[in-house]
Amino acid sequence: MRRRVVITGMGVITPLGHSVDEMFANVLAGQSGVDTVRNFDASTFPTTFAAEVKGFDLVKWVKDPARYKKCGVNTRFALAAARQALDDANLPSGGDRTRFGVYMGSGEGSEDFRALMLGAAAGADSTGFKVDLGIFAAVNFSHLDGGRERELEMHTPAGHLAEEYDLCGPNFACLTACAASAQALGEAAALIRHGDCDAMLTGGSHSMIHPLGMTGFNRLTALSTRNDSPKSASRPFDLTRDGFVLGEGAGMLVLEELEHAKARKATIYAELTGYGTSGDAHAMTDPHPEGIGAIQAMKMAMTEAGVKPGDVGYINAHGTSTRANDSSETNAVKGALGEHAYTTPVSSSKSMLGHLIAAGGAVELIISIMAMRKSVLPPTINYETPDPACDLDYVPNTAREKAAIRHVLSNSFGFGGQNITLIASRF
Amino acid sequence: MNPAGRIVSRRAVITGMGVITPLGHDLATFRAGLLAGTPGVRRTTAYDASKLPCPLFAELNPAFDAKKYIPATNKDGRKSLSKMAKTIQMGLCASQLCMDDAGLKKGDVPPQRFGIEFGCVMVATEINDLAKAAQVSVEGDSVNLKTWGERGQPEIIPVWLLKFLPNMPACHTSIFFDAQGPNNTITVEDAAGLLALGEAYRLLVRDSADFFLVGACESKLNPVSNSRLNTFTTFTKRHDAPESAVRPFDVSRDGTVLGEAATSLGLEELGRAQARGAKIYAELVGFAAGFDRGLTGKVLAQVIRNALKEAGVTPADVDHVNAHAAGYDYDAFEAKAILEVFGKQTPVIALKGQLGHSGAASGLTELVASIQALETGERPGTLNHMKNDFGISVQTGTAKTSKPYAVKISYTDLGQCAVIVIKKIDE
Repeated sequence: MRRRVVITGMGVITPLGHSVDEMFANVLAGQSGVDTVRNFDASTFPTTFAAEVKGFDLVKWVKDPARYKKCGVNTRFALAAARQALDDANLPSGGDRTRFGVYMGSGEGSEDFRALMLGAAAGADSTGFKVDLGIFAAVNFSHLDGGRERELEMHTPAGHLAEEYDLCGPNFACLTACAASAQALGEAAALIRHGDCDAMLTGGSHSMIHPLGMTGFNRLTALSTRNDSPKSASRPFDLTRDGFVLGEGAGMLVLEELEHAKARKATIYAELTGYGTSGDAHAMTDPHPEGIGAIQAMKMAMTEAGVKPGDVGYINAHGTSTRANDSSETNAVKGALGEHAYTTPVSSSKSMLGHLIAAGGAVELIISIMAMRKSVLPPTINYETPDPACDLDYVPNTAREKAAIRHVLSNSFGFGGQNITLIASRF
Repeated sequence: MNPAGRIVSRRAVITGMGVITPLGHDLATFRAGLLAGTPGVRRTTAYDASKLPCPLFAELNPAFDAKKYIPATNKDGRKSLSKMAKTIQMGLCASQLCMDDAGLKKGDVPPQRFGIEFGCVMVATEINDLAKAAQVSVEGDSVNLKTWGERGQPEIIPVWLLKFLPNMPACHTSIFFDAQGPNNTITVEDAAGLLALGEAYRLLVRDSADFFLVGACESKLNPVSNSRLNTFTTFTKRHDAPESAVRPFDVSRDGTVLGEAATSLGLEELGRAQARGAKIYAELVGFAAGFDRGLTGKVLAQVIRNALKEAGVTPADVDHVNAHAAGYDYDAFEAKAILEVFGKQTPVIALKGQLGHSGAASGLTELVASIQALETGERPGTLNHMKNDFGISVQTGTAKTSKPYAVKISYTDLGQCAVIVIKKIDE
C-alpha cells in the first residue's frame, strides 16, 4: 500500500511576519513587505529596494545562539522557522532519530564582498581587466574570517538543523534557484513514501539581499527599478510589471507519514498529494514561452494526486512580476487546466512578500494550505492594468472568500528551467 | 522487496560514464592511472599559490579545453561555454563524454523521460569579471558602495551571475541533450554526488524517468575558492613531498589537498538498456543516507547497513569498501563505522591520495573506480597508506576482485552521510 504523506507543522520567517498566523493575516490584508534596502547602502544601485526580514533575533529561537554566531542568515532563518514548525508538530523526542530527516532548498552564503574587492583591486593590472591571481589569492586570504567562510558552504543550513534538533535521517539540500524549496518538499515526501524515513523537516531558507546578489540580478535586468514606489513595484500579471522584487526568509514544514501522524493524534494541516518535476531544456533564464515544462510539471502533479483540472480550487502562482514569467505561466496554466483555467483563481504572494528565491516555494505552499484551511484566497496586490497576455482570475488586490477548496496547487520555477508543482489536499 | 515491503520491479543500471580528472579525461587513462598509482597531487601551477597555507593541488591537465569535448556541429553549445565558470564547463564535458560512452545522442531518449541530477556546490566568480568594478570602487581599505552602484556595477557583464550558479551544470546539460524530465542539483558538499545518484535512483525506480545523467563537478582551483577553503580546511603540511602528502587512514596523515574533477554517469532502466543493446557496467542496488550527529560513526554504520539491506546482501558479499577518507581527522570516524559493519576482513580502498579531494565531485569520481574494478576484475589500491591503527584492512597495492558487490561512502564534516551499493553485472 502506498504510504501517504501529511503536513503536521509549519513555520516561517518572512518580510511580513515571523509566524504563520502573522504572515497570513498580513497577506490577507494585502500588505507589502517591500521597502528601501536597510542592510547596506543600495542608494545608487539601479534597484534601491527589497522585501527584507525586519526585527529578527535568533535569541528568541534557540537555546545557545552563540553557537551560530558565524552563521549566515540562511542558517539563522532556517533555525527559527524550523523551531516553529517542530513546536507546531509537537513530535516526541527520543525514539529512532534516523527515521526523521532534513531536506533543505537553500542558497549560497554571501561571500565576503570587501575581501573580494580588496583582493581584486590589489591584483588588477592598469587596464582593470586582468587580475594577477597570486596577488589576489594572498590579499583576499588575508582579509577572510575562517569561521565565517566555512558557514558559507552549502551543506551548513541542513546540517545545523540536524544538529540542533537531533534529526539523524536522510539529510539533503538542493539548489534549483527559485524552485529549490518546492523541490525539497517534493523529494522529501518521496523519501517518506519510499520508506527511507517516517518524517522530514523540510523547506527553504535564502537571502540574496546583499551587494553581490543585488548586483547580479540588476545586471540581468531582472529586478524592478520602480524606485519611487517600492511597495507597488511587485505587480505580477499587470501590464506595467517591470521585474521582480528580491525578498528573503525561510519556510519550514514537518512532513510525516500518515499512520505515524495518526498514531500520535497529530493535527494534520493537509496531505501532500502531488509533486511534479520537469526541466525546460530551453534557456539559462527565460522560461519556455509556451510553458511546456511547467505544463508537464502541473500535469504530473495532478496525475500523482489523482486530481482533475476542475478539482483545483486555488493556484498559488510562481508569478514573479517579470515580463517573461507571468505570460509564460499564464499559458502554462491554460495548457494544464484547459477550460478550467479561466474559472480557477490564481494569485501571486510575491506581490506582497517579494521573491524569496530558494525559500519561495515552501512559504508559498504554506500560504496555499492556509487559504484552503481558512477558505479565503490571498490577493495579487498592485494589479492595476490588465495585460492581454495574462487573462486569468488573479484575485486582484483584495482577498476573497472561497468555501470548500479541496485541492491547492503551488508552482515554483527556477532560473535554469527547473519546474516544480506541489498539490496539497484537504485531509 | 525493499525495506518498506514494496516490490521493486524497475531496476537501474549504469550504461555510460564520463570522467574529467587529474589522472586523465577518459576512462581508460583514468583506470590505468589508478592501477599504476600515478600521483595526481603537485604544487599548484595555475598561479602563484605560495602565499596560501597549502600551495598543493590535484589539478587537471592545464591543457584542458572544454571546447574540444563539444562536437563542432553543436555551435550554440560551444558558444555557450563562454557563459560558464570552469566547474560548470567540466560538468558539461563529463556529461558529453558520458553520452558518447553510452552511445546516445540528443533525441535518443524521449525528452520527458530523460532526467538530470547533479551534485554541485558553491562555484566562484572569475575574479577578472569583477576587476574593473573593484578598481573603481575600492578606496584605501574599504569599498565605496555608492561608487560601486554608480560606476562599478556597469563594468560587469550582464550574464555574470549565471556563470557560476550551482544549478547551471544541470541546466546546460538539459539544454544540450533536450532532457525535460526531473532536474535537480544537490548541494550537500562532499556527499552531493552520491546523494544526487541516490535521488536519481529513487526517481527512476518510481517511474518518473527512464534515463538519468547523474553528474558531479567541482574545481576550487580558482583563487576565489582556494583562498576561502584555505581558511578552514585541514590541509597537509607536507609541501615538499606532494606525491606522498595525502595519506588516507594512515597513522601519519596530517591533512588533505584539494583536487578538481567532474564525473557523469548514465543511469538507465534495465529493460530499456537491454532493449537497445547498451553496454551495462553495473547495477545500482542500494542507497541510504543519514546524519551522524557528532560524527560518532554510529549513524554512518547504520546507513551502510541500510544500504546493504536494500541491496539484499550481507557484508560478506562485498568485494571492497571505497571510502571517503581524505587523509585528515575525520578518517577516524569513518574507520570506526567501517569496522563496526565489516570487521577486519573486507578490503578498504581510498583514492584521495592520488586524486586529491574534489569535494562534491569526489563521490561519483571515486565510484567509477569501483565500477571499473567490478567490471575488469582488478581494483586499485590506496596510495600513501602504510599503517593504520583502526583495525580495518586498508588495501595498498592493486588486487583481484573476488565478490560481486562494492560499497561507496561519502560524508561531510558536519555529518551528512550517503552510501551506494553497486553490483557486478552477470555475464
